[in-house]
Amino acid sequence: MLEPRNPQEGTDRPSLGRDAGQPINNAPLADREVPLPGAELGATPVAVHAWLDGEASEADARLADAKQVALWNRISEETSARRRMTTPAHVHANIMSALPAATPSLATSVSATAAPAAAATGMIAMSPVTAALAATGLLAAGFLLARLFG
Amino acid sequence: MAAPIPASEGLSRGSIRGYRSAVTNTHAAVSTEVDSDQEIIGRVIAGDRNAFGTLINRYSDPLYRHALGMTGSPDVAEDILQTSFIKAYHHLGEVRGRFDAWLFRIVANGCKDWLKNIRRTHLSYDEDDQPSNFNTPDEDLDRTELRQDLDEALAELAPSLREAFVMKHVEGRSYEEMADLLGTTVGALKMRVHRAREALQALLEEKYA
Repeated sequence: MLEPRNPQEGTDRPSLGRDAGQPINNAPLADREVPLPGAELGATPVAVHAWLDGEASEADARLADAKQVALWNRISEETSARRRMTTPAHVHANIMSALPAATPSLATSVSATAAPAAAATGMIAMSPVTAALAATGLLAAGFLLARLFG
Repeated sequence: MAAPIPASEGLSRGSIRGYRSAVTNTHAAVSTEVDSDQEIIGRVIAGDRNAFGTLINRYSDPLYRHALGMTGSPDVAEDILQTSFIKAYHHLGEVRGRFDAWLFRIVANGCKDWLKNIRRTHLSYDEDDQPSNFNTPDEDLDRTELRQDLDEALAELAPSLREAFVMKHVEGRSYEEMADLLGTTVGALKMRVHRAREALQALLEEKYA
């Protein structure tokens, strides 16, 4: 959805959804799931996207928009340089020295299947037994509180 | 130290078949056999703590590039990498399936968490961390300017668009590899990359086109 044309900038400013009243430059990055001002979808010819995706030749892309091809060639020089970057030498040693002394153990319970995903997402993994014990404990605590105040 | 995976091959091809091929191509005369990730994980769990260093050597470069592309800060990228490998060590016995994809998700989530927790508009690369293949001062100046402008433009993108652009254009992955690692479809990723390009182009074309 687009807001009415901004008379000061002369561009169509896309809506920011729940932060529509907030200036876009102050919006949290996570909230910017919409095109930026001036970034109208479709501004880049299909042939240029196809070339950048390796599905068409540069000559075809140049025929569509030579200026954009020149821009992307410059950007590609920079991204190619970044692709050659390697991890700083001290990082390996830092990681090895920060490893815990304990050897990681094999997981054998149901939690073993949940834990890798939990580790990846930062969530807490809990086995059914642990969950049952926690639930029992909470029920007992609730019962005691009810006895005390009820 | 094991040879780093060629950047253009990306992490996914660094899953053991691709890595094996990369290493044997480079060091054919030296070594023709490379331990699989699972073999190394088995050694670590059996008590060979130093074997974990092989996994670090094998995967740190593409993961570092991803973290650097996402955060724009070498220091933050190092921190995320270190934290991720330590987290992976803790949970090493719980790995099911591909270790490299599992490890990538830990790093990718670390980057996204960092982006969520910090409101910033610009963090530039340290000059010493950047390779320079240019000879003249003018070219170096030009290059530095483009680098800074690209960093600023990347920082304006939503994390999901930035992630897609970095994986495609900085890490050189195929859409299929990206879909495999991110657990989404090729079509959805193409759309994200296209949107990222449109946004970057809008931000950069006035100055550079």
